Amino acid sequence: MPEHTIGTREEWQAARKELAKLEADQAQRNEEVKQKRLALPWVQVEKEYEFDTEEGKKTLAELFDGRSQLLAYNVMFGPDYTLGACPGCSSLADGLDGSLVHLNHRDVTLMCFSRAPIERLAAYKQRMGWEFPYVSTYNTEFAFDFGLALTEEQAQAIPEVREMTENPPDWLEEWSGQVGADLKDGLRENPSWIAFARENGTVYHTYTVSAPDPFVAPYFSFLAERTPKPQPDEPRTWRKDEYPD
Amino acid sequence: MAEHRIGTQEQWQAERNELLKEEKQLTRLSDELAAKRSRLPWVPVEKVYRFESERGTAGLADLFDGRSQLLVYHFMFGPSYEAGCPVCSSIADTLAVQVPHLGARDTTLMLASRGPLAKLLDYRKRMGWEIDWVSSEGSDFNRDIGFMHTEEELQPFLEGEIPATVVQNAEMCGTTVGGYVAEGPGLSAYTLADGVVYRTYVSSARGLEFAMPYYALLDRTPKGRDEHPGTPVWLRRHDEYGSSVAV
Repeated sequence: MPEHTIGTREEWQAARKELAKLEADQAQRNEEVKQKRLALPWVQVEKEYEFDTEEGKKTLAELFDGRSQLLAYNVMFGPDYTLGACPGCSSLADGLDGSLVHLNHRDVTLMCFSRAPIERLAAYKQRMGWEFPYVSTYNTEFAFDFGLALTEEQAQAIPEVREMTENPPDWLEEWSGQVGADLKDGLRENPSWIAFARENGTVYHTYTVSAPDPFVAPYFSFLAERTPKPQPDEPRTWRKDEYPD
Repeated sequence: MAEHRIGTQEQWQAERNELLKEEKQLTRLSDELAAKRSRLPWVPVEKVYRFESERGTAGLADLFDGRSQLLVYHFMFGPSYEAGCPVCSSIADTLAVQVPHLGARDTTLMLASRGPLAKLLDYRKRMGWEIDWVSSEGSDFNRDIGFMHTEEELQPFLEGEIPATVVQNAEMCGTTVGGYVAEGPGLSAYTLADGVVYRTYVSSARGLEFAMPYYALLDRTPKGRDEHPGTPVWLRRHDEYGSSVAV
């Protein structure tokens, strides 16, 4: 007999109904937050940035690829990572291609950014079999201006980052090995979503959300939340071609 | 000038900080929900269900494929359909790539439909999905958890005004409105312990939104979902954008 509570169908139904009320409450709260998110002011991007893409240099406006909205995920893959991007970010990115064509037809260009040079991003993208555009913010101030990366000084000034660097938990030490970078460098990348709008030739920054917001988690974690057994507390992740068995 | 309110970086940051507080509350609410969800009682599945799979006839326990957890997406592809539901197809676009990640977490993710297996597999090939798909044709599997409706149950709906999106989807599936809505979309979860299968979770309708990650992404774009009541659904099968509605 499993240790979990076993019930009749009627007991389950009653408990499920109670849960459904809470799920509906949460959906309602989510609706309110969404409205507020849409109401945030847009901020004009006045600085010029030039990015390395698979198709050569592009400005921020050019990254929109003719659409009016740009939504990008900033994958932790800094210039110091010798073994590839963060496995958790890679798992999140695995989930994007399924939405790519649908968002493109909703006037949204979906892509990923990282700070490593474009050649390394292109090679990693090929290894992972991704379709979405992958853009390098190497040699631009973009990532620092928008809070997607920390300078060495900034990183050291944050007590939590310093503590994680000096006394890392086991899973974080493993992570450092997975990406092939010291934590003092590895933790300078900020896993985040960032959104921009383009209207009449002007680009506006509209939204950023960073870890630990659950939106910055691989999509399978939302599915795993519906499975019967609890997920491990430690955020160990693997690239899809590196699972232990 | 954009029609939206334009602000300075400082204004944005101040309002962003306020919103972050609410986003954090929502996260805490989600965590509580997840905890409550995992406390639902498990119900032994005593009835015997038969599925047609690529490996032959299988029982529910066989579908776990050596793992202890099973997540089934009930894909709307009924016996009268010529092609799968376009909305379910967009969901499957995003589910298929999660199979290896969940597999490594002791969870088998698959699709089940009431259509005949050969039709399901042909459609899967067209869509290019790498995910197991079983047919529950002739079994009460869908019916017993409320994902299949009889003509009698549907009568009041069919006699009323049918929403345009339902008409459109039925047409895209090559079936009648009645045939289309006989199927219900949903997710059900199971666990296998000591040879007994337990049903642990079932969700449908609005409770399936988490299975449409493109909506969560749209919710972070400047214009949001931009959907309005009465307008036709914008989702298409991934190989049918830009074409007219067709099977």
